[in-house]
Amino acid sequence: MRSPAAERRRPTPWDAVVALAVVAFAVVLIFLLRPTQGSAVTAVITLDGETVAQYRLDQLDQPETLTLNEAPYPLTIAIEPGRICIDHSECPSQDCVHTGWISRSGQQIICLPNRLVISLSGSEAEEFDAVTG
Amino acid sequence: MSGSLRRLTRSAVLTALALALSVAEGLVPLTILFPLPGLRLGLANLVTVYALCRLSGREALLILVARCLLGSLLGGNLMALAFSLTGGLLALAVMALALRLPGLSLFGVSIAGAAAHNTGQILAAMVVLGTRAPLVYLPPLLLCSLVTGAVTGGASILLVHRVPFSGRT
Repeated sequence: MRSPAAERRRPTPWDAVVALAVVAFAVVLIFLLRPTQGSAVTAVITLDGETVAQYRLDQLDQPETLTLNEAPYPLTIAIEPGRICIDHSECPSQDCVHTGWISRSGQQIICLPNRLVISLSGSEAEEFDAVTG
Repeated sequence: MSGSLRRLTRSAVLTALALALSVAEGLVPLTILFPLPGLRLGLANLVTVYALCRLSGREALLILVARCLLGSLLGGNLMALAFSLTGGLLALAVMALALRLPGLSLFGVSIAGAAAHNTGQILAAMVVLGTRAPLVYLPPLLLCSLVTGAVTGGASILLVHRVPFSGRT
């Protein structure tokens, strides 16, 4: 394939246009996915599409731990008043553990090897596309 | 050496190079610096850019698919294969189009490719998990793709100019 791009050695103004388009796409997504407001935060834990547990983080008064031995890579979830994290996981990537604590609605922890999702939602608006208009 | 044999050898060498680059990149994961699932420099994309510029779209596609298949044998699993293939194919398609645009340099092409790769990976994750949850990771990944795309773009400019395979086969 003969392409003028292959012969250039310096960036062109059009490269900046591409970069700006990527930034614009990211900004639009951030706007669409912005967390819903509200003091009530519910954590929903789903494993392979099935909801395995649900916690009202704002109503919790003492820390709890949830161990999921039935997951492909067993893991332990730590739940504290107002926040939740994956404390330990046997999965190879450890991305879920590195995500750390989450506390605001709209945030997620995903453990792909386990197909596990912990998602936080506010009480009023459950789905983010309910607010985009 | 016959033309087809030369083409085969060239594609095989580039496939091996792409595999080596993605394994090498896995040894020094960017996610240690910046914990974002799916974040990588995308060095193997250099080979795709090179193949698109100096060989052909068909060879670039063959090298990409061979790299993903062999890569999953080396240490991944089926899910990793789905991810690298979706991301890689989307990046290849976007870069092949971007290379036809008159005004871009390889910086712009690589950034578009990196952004497409991340989008493809997130789409694959959404399909695997059956929820839109992974979409939350896309904006930061897109912003990172500006940097990773520019770095691999700069490297691919060096590669494409320093290693000009003769167009004759």
